[in-house]
Amino acid sequence: MTVAAILANPALTIVLTVAAYSLALALHRRWRGIPPLVAACIPVIAFLLLVREPYAAYNRGGNLLSWWLGPATVALAAPMFRHGRALRWSLPRLAIIVLAGSIVGMVTAGVTAWLLGAPLPVIMSTIPKSVTTPIAIEVCRELKGIPQITIALVILAGILGASFGPWLLRLVGVRDDRSIGAAIGTASHGVGTASLVRHSEMQATVSSWAMAAAGVFTSLLAAILALFLR
Amino acid sequence: MFDFLRGLAILVAFYLLGMLLHRWGVPIPGGVLGLLLLYFALLSGIVNFHWVERAAGFLLRHMVLLFIPLTVGLMDMGGLLSRQALAIFASLLVSFLAVLLTTGLLGRWLFTQNGDAEISQ
Repeated sequence: MTVAAILANPALTIVLTVAAYSLALALHRRWRGIPPLVAACIPVIAFLLLVREPYAAYNRGGNLLSWWLGPATVALAAPMFRHGRALRWSLPRLAIIVLAGSIVGMVTAGVTAWLLGAPLPVIMSTIPKSVTTPIAIEVCRELKGIPQITIALVILAGILGASFGPWLLRLVGVRDDRSIGAAIGTASHGVGTASLVRHSEMQATVSSWAMAAAGVFTSLLAAILALFLR
Repeated sequence: MFDFLRGLAILVAFYLLGMLLHRWGVPIPGGVLGLLLLYFALLSGIVNFHWVERAAGFLLRHMVLLFIPLTVGLMDMGGLLSRQALAIFASLLVSFLAVLLTTGLLGRWLFTQNGDAEISQ
């Protein structure tokens, strides 16, 4: 039986991916700086290169996992609801801030890529880069972008925010918890939010809400953009 | 275990509902429609928060697992990525700074102008 024949079973994608993910979690527990996604993808790619199999062979069962990104997006309603209750009186102002941030993020990302001569699918892939991965992927598909590029950018935006976000904000005199939370949640989604949990409950709460809201606003804005592209 | 499965079933049901609306012409992705529908169902009390709490927590905690299959696809994109590296990374950096500063400064202006300190400390 060849490797290809074994790989032909879609369920093998699950075995390989969960194994790589477990390994990545173990590495991440020991060395906090290693992003689990990177640590999980490298062994899978190395394995495929080693056995000389194309990506398509590995990804036959990819949908069995990727499909759950849909329900995972729906699941964002839970933290949004829980944190929304705690933030009641600030919500209208928060919504304005997140909406403004989402518009600025989409326009600046797209325009920068366009000015530097990127082809249309690449430009479209940069547009949803601030929002949480499952929503970014869906928005990218609506805009006919390349999901892999979007995923890479989303992760990097998260790491940038988690590493330098609070410092940059302090630099320009933003000190109150709600503004920091709103900025990190809008610019750096879940990765940024997770980095705030250690500092302040309030920042993390605002950030969780902002991250979900940014995903919703960005999809709405992308739907409008998609109308113009037709 | 039952709690967990019930929560998962509710999330899937809202996702399918969102997909259906999307198929019928609502131009927003099905997952986001499902998110909005569930959010309003939670606000109005149609869905009890405890029904979905555990399943939602599980999916969100292990979300990385779900996008590994897509991300591995980067292995086929070395050429495109290296040709477009400047545009892609410049756009990331410019846009990241723009979003962070817009939201942060707008927040400072909106949250501190009238000295309300209801919940921030």
